[in-house]
Amino acid sequence: MSTFKLEIVTPTRILDEGMITYVRCPGLDGSFGVMTNHASAIIAMDVGEIKITRENRDYYIATGGGFADIQGDTVLLLVESAEEANEINIARAESAVERAKERLKQNKGIDEKRAMMAISRALNRMKVAKR
Amino acid sequence: MANLKDIRDRIKSVKSIQQVTKAMKMVAAAKMRKAQERMEQARPYTHKLHEIIQTLLPDVDRSLLPLLDVRDIKRYAYVVITSDRGLAGSFNTNIIKQAQIEIDSLGKENVDLFCIGKKGRDHFKRRGYTIIEEHIEFWNEMEFNHAIKLGDGIISHFIDGKADEIRVIYNEFKNVAVQIIVKDKLLPLEYNEQQEEASSGERLYEPSRDDIVKSLVPRHLNVQIWQYLLESYASEQAARMVAMENATLNASDMIKALQLEFNKARQASITTEMLEIVSGAEALN
Repeated sequence: MSTFKLEIVTPTRILDEGMITYVRCPGLDGSFGVMTNHASAIIAMDVGEIKITRENRDYYIATGGGFADIQGDTVLLLVESAEEANEINIARAESAVERAKERLKQNKGIDEKRAMMAISRALNRMKVAKR
Repeated sequence: MANLKDIRDRIKSVKSIQQVTKAMKMVAAAKMRKAQERMEQARPYTHKLHEIIQTLLPDVDRSLLPLLDVRDIKRYAYVVITSDRGLAGSFNTNIIKQAQIEIDSLGKENVDLFCIGKKGRDHFKRRGYTIIEEHIEFWNEMEFNHAIKLGDGIISHFIDGKADEIRVIYNEFKNVAVQIIVKDKLLPLEYNEQQEEASSGERLYEPSRDDIVKSLVPRHLNVQIWQYLLESYASEQAARMVAMENATLNASDMIKALQLEFNKARQASITTEMLEIVSGAEALN
């Protein structure tokens, strides 16, 4: 299988995924997949999971959304966060959900959007961790 | 000649000062290492985002986003990033001096200030400059949220038309010994008009290019501000570390000089005492 380079850059670190054959990302209007010889593109990404296929094995990464920059045989994911399945602390994600729900109950309106975002990020983490 | 007790007391006080400067140096060194790590981790993200923006913007109409709006400049705003605490060599002095020269050349009544850090705030407040916002005492628990909050304030100041150009002055971290003062234009967003547009012409955008620019630009600003804060914090710690290192060395020199003076004084007193005894004995004979 022909391969291409994948790099995931976040404000706190860089994940160099090396040469891979396939990556599936959560786009704003549904998931999209990238294989070699993809056209150059910039695509907005939502909170969700990134699936990477390297040497016939699948890897999952939870992301907080951002952008994919596809250029030639390199894919660059500029995302707000990226955590591999084995790095995710499920207990922390669960307590984050609890906290956000608590906030939603207490003050309506003020931080609703942020709390909803927090919940979706935490649920996403839990989903990826259980892969 | 100073008396022995005075000199001994001075040596003691210099030694305890030296202990303090030594401790401060160690603390600054530890903090700097952490800050430097954080800053270096953030740099690639900031630079890539910047790169993408630079390739996108030349094809975009400036009327798309108010943040791109180039207006006639009637009023400026400056974001001056200093530290809360002193004892960091010329870290704050240089920044404040530079900022003041710039602001005064534009006329201090034409400039609004966003002061980050107590030192800058105090300086400009005392001299009657217009301070719109001050952000102090957050460095130790600095988080991305601070950058967002600061960014929101700056952005709304610009969008509301209260300032037509916003500039930043901060210390950029080169290495431990070198921090350089950088002056950046933050808003309206600048870009190189003559970009080679070959690559951007055939790109796909999803959802649309305009939507991407709309969500990228505010994010870019926040990240940029975050980077400024990280750079400044790392620079502050580096500057303090070097300053305290020098202070410790100076204290050593001082102790040495005082010790010499002390020994001289001690010998002199012994000599005088002996002379007295000898001449006393002489008188008895």
